[in-house]
Amino acid sequence: MTRRWIQETLYLGLLLIVALIIGWFIGHVGRWLFIAVAIYLVWHIINLYRLERWLRYSRRFDVPGTFGVWEDIFNDFYQLKRRERERKWRLIQLLREIRESTAAMPDGMVILDRVGEICWMNEAAGRLLHLRVRQDVGQRLANLMRHPDFIPYLNSSHYDEPISMASPFSRGVHLSMSIVPYGSEQRLLLVRDTTRLHRLEAIRAEFVANASHELRSPLTVMHGYLDAMREDEHLRKIWGKPLDEMHHQTVRMTAIVSDLLELSRLETEQRQAPYAPVDVAQLVQGVRDEALSLGQGPTNVIMKVDAGLFLLGAEHEIYSAFSNLVFNAMKYTPADGSVTITWARENGDACFTVADTGIGIPAAHIPRLTERFYRVDESRHRDSGGTGLGLAIVKHVLQHHGAILSIDSEPGHGSQFSCRFPQERISHTIDKSVTA
Amino acid sequence: MDKLNLTHHISQQFNEELVSVRNRVLAMGGLVEQQMADALRALTEGDSELGRSIEQQDYKVNQMEVAIDEECSRIVARRQPAASDLRLVLTIIKTITDLERIGDEAEKIGRLSARLAGVERPGDRYVALQHMGRHAQVMVHDALDAFARMDAEAAVHVAREDTRVDDEYEALSRQSITFMMEDPHTIRQILDVMWSARALERIGDHAKNICEYVVYLVQGKDVRHAGYEAMEREVRERPLGIN
Repeated sequence: MTRRWIQETLYLGLLLIVALIIGWFIGHVGRWLFIAVAIYLVWHIINLYRLERWLRYSRRFDVPGTFGVWEDIFNDFYQLKRRERERKWRLIQLLREIRESTAAMPDGMVILDRVGEICWMNEAAGRLLHLRVRQDVGQRLANLMRHPDFIPYLNSSHYDEPISMASPFSRGVHLSMSIVPYGSEQRLLLVRDTTRLHRLEAIRAEFVANASHELRSPLTVMHGYLDAMREDEHLRKIWGKPLDEMHHQTVRMTAIVSDLLELSRLETEQRQAPYAPVDVAQLVQGVRDEALSLGQGPTNVIMKVDAGLFLLGAEHEIYSAFSNLVFNAMKYTPADGSVTITWARENGDACFTVADTGIGIPAAHIPRLTERFYRVDESRHRDSGGTGLGLAIVKHVLQHHGAILSIDSEPGHGSQFSCRFPQERISHTIDKSVTA
Repeated sequence: MDKLNLTHHISQQFNEELVSVRNRVLAMGGLVEQQMADALRALTEGDSELGRSIEQQDYKVNQMEVAIDEECSRIVARRQPAASDLRLVLTIIKTITDLERIGDEAEKIGRLSARLAGVERPGDRYVALQHMGRHAQVMVHDALDAFARMDAEAAVHVAREDTRVDDEYEALSRQSITFMMEDPHTIRQILDVMWSARALERIGDHAKNICEYVVYLVQGKDVRHAGYEAMEREVRERPLGIN
C-alpha cells in the first residue's frame, strides 16, 4: 500500500474517532458515526462527479483542486490525457507530412478500393486525369477515365506492365499508368506524364529514319560507280581485290540502311497490324527457295507446314520476319546439318518455328539477342554478312501482331526460334470478306 | 455533391444491376469518345487509313447499345423500378441512343477525312473545323462526366456550350460559301468540310441532349426545349436529393 492509501485510511479513522468522541460526550454515538460516514461518502461522490465531468467535457488541462487520494487519481488521469494528446499530435503531424509529400509528388496517385471506387488522390492525379480531388472521392474511376484501353487494364488482375496512352483530355500529353495492388484488395494507381519522354523517343526515331534515308542516295551512287569500275578489264587487273571488297561493303551498307529504315518504320507505327489473311504455306515456300539459292548453309531444309492455317496480318512484315529467322538459321548451320521450318497450331495458338542443328547460342546471350547490332561474338559476323538488325525487326513485327518470340538454344546442338501468334490472328480461310 | 443513392435497395442484386448498367453506359461513352478523338486526328493529320478504321470500331458501340438496351428492358420488367431508379433507367435508354448517334457521326467524319486526305489540303489545315471539333469533343466528355457525377449544374453548363458550337458552325458555313464562290473547283472538297462541320454540330446537339437527361435524372424535371435560363433556374431552385 502506498503512502497515499495509508493517509486516506487515517483520514477515515480520524473522522470516525472524532464522530465517536462527539457521540461519547453528547450521546447518540450511532447517529454521529452515521453522519461521519455520510460526509465521507458525499465527499467521494462529489469527487467522482467532478472526475466524470472533467474526463468527459473538459478540454482544459488544469486539474480540479482536491486533496487525498483523489488528487492522485486526478494527476494520473492528467498524465494519461497529456500523453494521449501528444501521441495524437505526433500522428497528425506525421499524417500531414505524408499528405504534403504525396501532394507535392509530380506523379499522380489514386487509391482505389475493391470495386474501383476512388478513396483518395493527390493534386497531380487530379490535374493529369482531370478529376476533382475532393468531390470525386467515392466515384468509380472507370466512369470518369473512360478510355477503352484503360478500362480493361483496370479490370484485369495482372498489372505487370504499365499502360501508356495519349491523354484523352489534353492534346499532345502522354500518360503512363501502372497499378499496384496492396493490402486487402486495395489498389494504388500511379500516373506519370511521359510527354517529354514520348517526344524524345519520336525525335530519335525520326532522326534514325532521316539519317538512313539521306545515306541511301550517296550509297547508290558509289555502288553504281563501283559496278562500272569492276566491269573495266584494265582496272580489274590492278584494283581487282580492293574493288570487290568495296563492292561487298557497299552492298552490306545498303542492307543495313534499308533494315534501319524498316525498323524505324515499324517503331513509329503505333497501330496494330491489319487483319489481312496471309497464306503462310506459300510464303514459307518462297522463303525456303530464296534461302536455298543463297548457296550458304545446309541443303537439307525440311518444311512441316499446315497449308490450311492462315495468319491475319501484314504480309510484307510477316515475310521479312520469317525470312530473317530462316536466313539466320542457314547462316549458323554447317552444310551437313539441317533446318526445319514448322507452321502449325499449338494449344490454340499458331506457332511458326525454325529449328536448326547449328552452332547454337550460349544462354547468357539469349535475352539480348533482339537488341540492335548485338553480336554473340565478334568473330561470328565477319563472314556471315548480316546487318545485325534482323532479330530486332523480327521482334518489332511480332509485337505488331501481338505475337511472342521465344528462343531455345543449346550450344553445339542447335537453336530453335518460335513465334507464337494469338488465336485472334488465326484464320482457316483465305476469304477476305470474312475478316472485313 | 448530390448523388442519387444507388445503394439503398434491400435487394443487393438490384443495386448491382443498376450500378453495372450505369458503368456500362460510361464504358460505351469511352468508346465513342475514342472514336471521336480518332476521327478528329484523322482529319487533322490527313490520315486516311485511320479515318477508315473508325468504321470498323463502330460495331462494338452498336453491340454495347443493344446489350445495354436489353439489360434495361430486363430491369424494367423484373424490378419495376420507381422514382429515381425509373428515371435512371429511362435516362440510360435515351443516353445510349444519343451516344450511338455520336458514334455514327464520328464514323461519318472519319469517312469524310479519308476522302479529304486524298486532295490537297488548304493553307489553314482546316483550323476552324479542328477548333469546332475540339469544342464538340470537350462537350461530349463533360456531358459524360456530368452523368458519372450526377452533377446537374455541370450538365447545364455543358448544355450552354452548344450555342457556341452552333455559332461556330454558322461562321464556318458562311466562310465556306465565300470559298465556293471564289473558286468553284473546290466545291466538292468544301462540301466535304461542310458535312464534317455538320456532323460536329450534330454531335454537340447530342451532347446537349445527354445533359438534359442528366438534369432530368437528378432533379426529376424535364428541361427539354425549356431554354437555358429556365434550366438554370430549375437546377438552382429545386432542393437536391429528392426522390
